Amino acid sequence: MNGKDQALIVDSTERLLDVLRDRLNLKGVKEGCGTGDCGACTVIMDGRLVSSCLVLAVQARDKRITTIEGVGTRENLHPVQKALMKYNAAQCGFCTPAMILAGKNLLDHNPTPSKEQIKEAISGILCRCTGYYKIVDAIHDAAKEISEARC
Amino acid sequence: MLTETAAAQKLREAQGFTLIGKRIQRLDGLEKVLGLPLYTSDIVPKEALRVKVVRSTVPHALVRHIDTQPARQMQGVLAVLTAEDIPGINESYALLPDRPLLASKKVRCQGEAMAIVAARDLETTEEAAEMIRVEYERLPAVTSPVEAMKTDSVLVHDNGNVAKYLRVRKGDVQEGFRQADVIIENTYGTQFQDPTPMEPEVGMAWVEKDGSVTCVGSMQTPYYVQTGVAKVLGLSPDKVRVIQATTGGAFGPKSDEMPVDTCAISALVAQRTGKPAILAYGREESMIAHTKRHPFVITLKTGAKSDGRLTASEALVVSDTGAYASLGPLVIIRACFHATGPYVIPNVKTDAYCMYTNNTMAGSFRGFGSPQVHFAAESQIDELAKKLDMDPLDLRLKNILRPGTLTATSQLVDEACGLEECTKRATEASGWRAKRLEFGLDRGPFRRGIGLALMYHGNSLGPEGNDYAYVHMLIKPDGRVVVRTALTEYGTGAISGLAQVAAETLGVPIQLLELGAADTASCVETGPTVASRVMVIGGRATQIAAQKLKKKLLTVASDFLQCEPSKLTIKGELVGHIDDPKRTVPFRKVVEECYRRHISLTETGYYIAPKCEFESENSQGTTYQQYTYGAVVTEVQVDTELGIVKPLKITAAYDAGRAINPLSLEGQIEGGTIQGLGYGLMEQLIHSHGMVLNPTLGDYYIPTSLDIPELQTIIVEYPGAVGPYGAKAMGEPPVDLPAAALANAVAHATGSRVFDLPLTAEKTLFAMKRQQR
Amino acid sequence: MTTIADLEAQEDDSAWGRLLADAVGKFGSPNIRTVATIGGNVCAASSSEDLIPVFLVLDAKVKLIRRTEAREIPLQEFLVAKRKTALHADEILAEVSFSEPSARTACSFQKLGMRNTLIIALVSVAVFLETDDARSTILQARIALNRLKGKIPQRAERVEMELIGRRFDEGTIKSAVDRLGDELALTSYFRVSAEYSEEAVKVLLRRALSDCRQRILGK
Repeated sequence: MNGKDQALIVDSTERLLDVLRDRLNLKGVKEGCGTGDCGACTVIMDGRLVSSCLVLAVQARDKRITTIEGVGTRENLHPVQKALMKYNAAQCGFCTPAMILAGKNLLDHNPTPSKEQIKEAISGILCRCTGYYKIVDAIHDAAKEISEARC
Repeated sequence: MLTETAAAQKLREAQGFTLIGKRIQRLDGLEKVLGLPLYTSDIVPKEALRVKVVRSTVPHALVRHIDTQPARQMQGVLAVLTAEDIPGINESYALLPDRPLLASKKVRCQGEAMAIVAARDLETTEEAAEMIRVEYERLPAVTSPVEAMKTDSVLVHDNGNVAKYLRVRKGDVQEGFRQADVIIENTYGTQFQDPTPMEPEVGMAWVEKDGSVTCVGSMQTPYYVQTGVAKVLGLSPDKVRVIQATTGGAFGPKSDEMPVDTCAISALVAQRTGKPAILAYGREESMIAHTKRHPFVITLKTGAKSDGRLTASEALVVSDTGAYASLGPLVIIRACFHATGPYVIPNVKTDAYCMYTNNTMAGSFRGFGSPQVHFAAESQIDELAKKLDMDPLDLRLKNILRPGTLTATSQLVDEACGLEECTKRATEASGWRAKRLEFGLDRGPFRRGIGLALMYHGNSLGPEGNDYAYVHMLIKPDGRVVVRTALTEYGTGAISGLAQVAAETLGVPIQLLELGAADTASCVETGPTVASRVMVIGGRATQIAAQKLKKKLLTVASDFLQCEPSKLTIKGELVGHIDDPKRTVPFRKVVEECYRRHISLTETGYYIAPKCEFESENSQGTTYQQYTYGAVVTEVQVDTELGIVKPLKITAAYDAGRAINPLSLEGQIEGGTIQGLGYGLMEQLIHSHGMVLNPTLGDYYIPTSLDIPELQTIIVEYPGAVGPYGAKAMGEPPVDLPAAALANAVAHATGSRVFDLPLTAEKTLFAMKRQQR
Repeated sequence: MTTIADLEAQEDDSAWGRLLADAVGKFGSPNIRTVATIGGNVCAASSSEDLIPVFLVLDAKVKLIRRTEAREIPLQEFLVAKRKTALHADEILAEVSFSEPSARTACSFQKLGMRNTLIIALVSVAVFLETDDARSTILQARIALNRLKGKIPQRAERVEMELIGRRFDEGTIKSAVDRLGDELALTSYFRVSAEYSEEAVKVLLRRALSDCRQRILGK
């Protein structure tokens, strides 16, 4: 769980979303619909994006999970977070944690994505405020920053 | 583009601005990218009860009996309430007193709240709610606004189905049509659009030790919630405190009935049980119960001379406000006044009706009648251009509003009219002329089209009410400046904009600014956060508060620098002499001195816009204090075998008056454009016999990241008379035109027109087939 | 349990590999592909399940196991009615299998929805075509639609007959599409009318057949 082992006893009917928000107090994971249609509850599970409202807590056994709380800190923002800030790409902020996780996960697997690939990576997360443009530009910018840092 | 160009910087500095016009980061950006902001559901106390509402499942019926016994008897259920349990007044309405909080004798639409259940956990509450049985005696339902106008229609409310009627009369339309060489008449239709904020409605309440009630919720207007909750609880408003939590998107409906409902219902439970209570809507519940965009049926008859000059416009504009009016009576006003589109027409006759039906409620939604009438008006201009064999751009340029011309309400258009420049720049940047020809040569199943639409958008409340704002400002001993107001942030970036105006007026760096919470305990009533008025009206109030503080600071600073306060200015973190850059004193020191001398560094700025004076019988006069103008060009590719419309590029030019923060402004334009794109292509909350068929995000389609076309934004500035630095309303205008421009592009591509939104593949294909026959 | 994301990760250039890639590319969204499974899609038995037409044209069988026994039945038999399968209460679906198609095979999957992603198919078509070595005569044709006459995906057997043994040219494609027009018995629902669905699915079939032709000639 964000890099630290966690042991919990869960009910077989508990959703991963509820365990994260209510038991582990990770409020950055949001519930937008409860039916797997909006992606606001996105977390990274073993290197793939999942909507945590569609995952039973028991299905997360032995898996590595990352939420927004595990991405960066005030003093040490992830490049995707820095870029979203620079572009004012977080408007109401409700989809922002999910978008950042999608951006981070994409860049972890593909450090030089095209804008089409970025749009594809965030395609499971709905945003009603931004029209997606600045989120895509921000992730694209973050990719450049990461690859420049590597050189 | 993140940084401003050298040219923009030069222009900004030439105007003497430090921050206005600069691309600045929002103040709440850091918190948001860390996932830290607390939305209502994130701050629920452990002991809070979960509340569920039992809602009507039929569109029109008498209620014979609500059997709550099975729920009351369930273990773990702590409260079951119906209308009779309301201690105050059982009402929750935005404008007309036509709606109860809890229905008891009659239901007029699907989704009306009827009973409230509360338990410690959501599962128990949901189970108990399902056990409540309602016995209905069904009544016939009227589900079309045109049907509702008939004399023998089913009545939704006892005093008739017309919630509001108004008209525009200018000149003499009969004469105007006589003068016309060409007359066309068409009927256009638009659909229910769901606002779909990513955070559904939620409200929480608890009772304080002194018996007063505190509400926290997702909302646009805390004082509406205060008034509404106090009324339901039978308390005086000063006994109800309302705090806006971080709100995950709103778009209008969170200023209508729902936030009052969520908070009042939670408060009823809190009062009854003594425990905090939270009511969080599920998405399906939200989509059925909350207000949506009004469907309209618009019949337009337009006359023109053969050279294209418009001579007459006759319009019948009918909206479907559903079972309860909400803000329908105001939406119809805006629609009525803008129904002709932004053109000079000497003879205008518009009749506008806001009709009740047994569909679910329509109310406020970004655009507020403007997207609907512009879809009709702009489609009509293109149809006229076709009839006259004129380029739609040329026909428009012949007739657009320009300084010195009169609107449909006979308002004189002032110099702050950038419509022509927007039109020219959007069409030039998109390559209009060449593409009109080039796309017309496409052969094969994929045909491209390019369409244009223009708009004007009367700013702020106009005729809707007193247009004022209060903004509080405080400078703390450490020099940080706090801006606090009951105007709210819900994604727009508007409150950060106020901070930018405050910093500019004071002369301090933006880094010193902080934003306070929208809390009725610390902010006075300031009117609603609607109508894109935060910058225009709130911005003026902010300037006034900042100027008052600056005056105090400079008076004290003048003692330090031994000169007249009028010779001083604040720049960066220094107060200095305008003629002698070396004579300075740190801003912080002046602040500390103010505190030492007990000079209060708290000020409240108040601004009220001039009243709109117009004659109400025929709606002639000044209907809005200033106008935003815009032009949108859309390029599409139509798959003519399947009817699928693929948007390729949108070029959007807006006269924003003054772009306070171009980066945030782009964000509003981009977001509004895509919301408008969804409205044009894929969004429709489908009612059948009054019941919503697709109240889920799996069945109601908003654009995803894979649906967006290339978008070019052009900002033009013709400073308006009202807003700070000439700023105009820009929150709503970007939603007004995309659907209209798409409709015109599709008509260009296919040679046939779809008269009803959304432009689904089915409608597009069948319009083409009808044309071929 | 094989998820759609697992399928997506396998890059296979064979006919069936490309067919699955077609379907998986339009399946839900990245988030949904991570958790959705082949078994779940097949057992849901409705016109919204994209893998069903795909497996139908691959002539797939399903393996159902109990504690001590297993049985294998054709997928067509497994699908009984909307949301109803032949699965017994004590059985689970363990495997979906099909024979490897020959080298002269091409497949295509076409799907129509209300936007570009996260869509439930309004209409969808899966096509499987095998030709002779000269690539001119159709030896085997399998066509499945998400909606043909009822509420679950079905093979369009009469349309297949129209293709088998014929020359693989534009004329044959046209007569297959015409034949489909005769076979269709779709109903309107709030999302689309029967009339539009029938128009659209004929276009999708034509495009799927042309797509297969391109793929076969391309090899």
